[in-house]
Amino acid sequence: MTLQFQPPPPDHVPPELIVDFDFFHIPEGVSDPAEIWHDLVRRGVPKIFYTPRNGGHWVLLDYADIVEAYRDHTVFSTYQTPIPPIEPFPVVQPQGVDPPEHNVFRRLLAPMFTPIAVRGMEKHLRERAVALLEEFSDKGECDFIADFAERYPTGTFLYLFGLPEERLDEFLDLANVFFRSTDPDERAKNIVDIYAVLEQLFREKEASPGEDIASAIVTARDKEGNQHDWTDILNCGFLLFVAGLDTVTNTMAYIWRYLATNPAARKHFRDRLDDPDAFLRAIEELMRINAVSNLYRRIQHDCEFRGVQFRQNDRVVLPNTVANRDPKVFADPQTIDLDRAVNVHVTFGVGPHRCVGSHLAKREVMVSLQEWLRRVPEFTLADDQPEHSVFGGSVMGFTGLKLTWDAAAQ
Amino acid sequence: MKVVVNLDLCQGHARCEDLCPEVFSTDAVEGKCVIENAEVPAEFEEKVRLAVRNCPEGALRVTKS
Ligand code: HEM
Ligand code: SF4
Repeated sequence: MTLQFQPPPPDHVPPELIVDFDFFHIPEGVSDPAEIWHDLVRRGVPKIFYTPRNGGHWVLLDYADIVEAYRDHTVFSTYQTPIPPIEPFPVVQPQGVDPPEHNVFRRLLAPMFTPIAVRGMEKHLRERAVALLEEFSDKGECDFIADFAERYPTGTFLYLFGLPEERLDEFLDLANVFFRSTDPDERAKNIVDIYAVLEQLFREKEASPGEDIASAIVTARDKEGNQHDWTDILNCGFLLFVAGLDTVTNTMAYIWRYLATNPAARKHFRDRLDDPDAFLRAIEELMRINAVSNLYRRIQHDCEFRGVQFRQNDRVVLPNTVANRDPKVFADPQTIDLDRAVNVHVTFGVGPHRCVGSHLAKREVMVSLQEWLRRVPEFTLADDQPEHSVFGGSVMGFTGLKLTWDAAAQ
Repeated sequence: MKVVVNLDLCQGHARCEDLCPEVFSTDAVEGKCVIENAEVPAEFEEKVRLAVRNCPEGALRVTKS
């Protein structure tokens, strides 16, 4: 098999633009994985630089450049982008296809995730948050990741796909291997397992469709009135499974970790439990500060970008966490202002691929935090945090986060 | 005050609808911003201004009517 999408050797990169930077590696002692990115900015490295690590790739650090990369798919493609480069790579729908083909699955999904559609899910989202919290809120401690932040979005996926809650542990196991395993054999088997589960699920929904999103995808018709390509259906199911898990888990982890050390912020949210607009505005700000995703693009053709020579198939990483603290865009960017009213952060990306699930994600966080604060208004970080519990990569976050509270007092 | 959307820029992210559902909605087929009545009622002017400034694509604009 000939490889078509391998990045070229970096002969075109001038030495002054090379920085040795491995975004999968979090050095010993760093407790917030996003800090490796902010450290680059503090060191004053070039705003467009190249690192030879992980197969070699560019990094953009300016908000304006990152936004342009998101918007201009004619230069920055989402097709075949993995870092380090692996090919062929599954073409997830709709994220892995460029416009205009992108629009087919995008249009299929978008109506199911509008603000109105998500408000219709709120009752269910709330009930499930309450049920999960009541399992441990009287214990005075939890591992926030294992006890809540992983289980909750996985349950949301089951709900979206019309699957019974009893299958939660099965899907949690699949997700945990997918996101955390480094063993190539285990990873390969995991992908096969996930696709087998999706295949069976979509076949069942095809035979007896329900009101869920899996049924909507499998019964949708293309312009000619035919079912969509079966591989695309599976790849869309796959994306919906993985896109809303690790991202939500770690966004929550960051937010709860921050609140555990900030009494004033806890109070800010507690005082607004009955004011959803203000509550959501504050969540929006914590999402700006805690942008967990670093996105990948592949250069479509040789070109010059802001005076820098790019070659076809060069890889590019877009660190949202850096864009979101660009002083040219955000007043006082390092300050967490829970009342910030204008907040054009790129935590969910921007342009055609901007997160379809953004309203759902925000509502999941909002409902969870409201119900949490009603039961656990005060909490702190436990003294005995697990070791080696942070990770970098395309999604950054935590594998463990121990919280404690005075259960008797609450 | 009037508000208009440039549909070439709009990507249907519905930040506008979320911030001011009284004025903005999202088309179920095209998935783009819909403004039923471009003339903004005075009580919503502030919310509309916020929606305009929060549109991720810069697709909204207010004009004097
Ligand atoms: C806080 C949580 C989340 C974050 C930070 C996040 C972030 C992102 C980002 C940055 C993108 C843009 C990808 C790109 O430009 O290449 C994206 C796309 C996407 N997200 Fe999310 N996401 C979150 C939650 C969710 C949830 C809950 C869902 C479930 C429905 C979801 C489904 C998707 C899908 C389907 C896409 C692809 C959209 C397209 O290509 O048109 N996300 N997300
Ligand atoms: S916020 Fe902007 S991009 Fe999103 S639907 Fe409204 S006008 Fe369109």
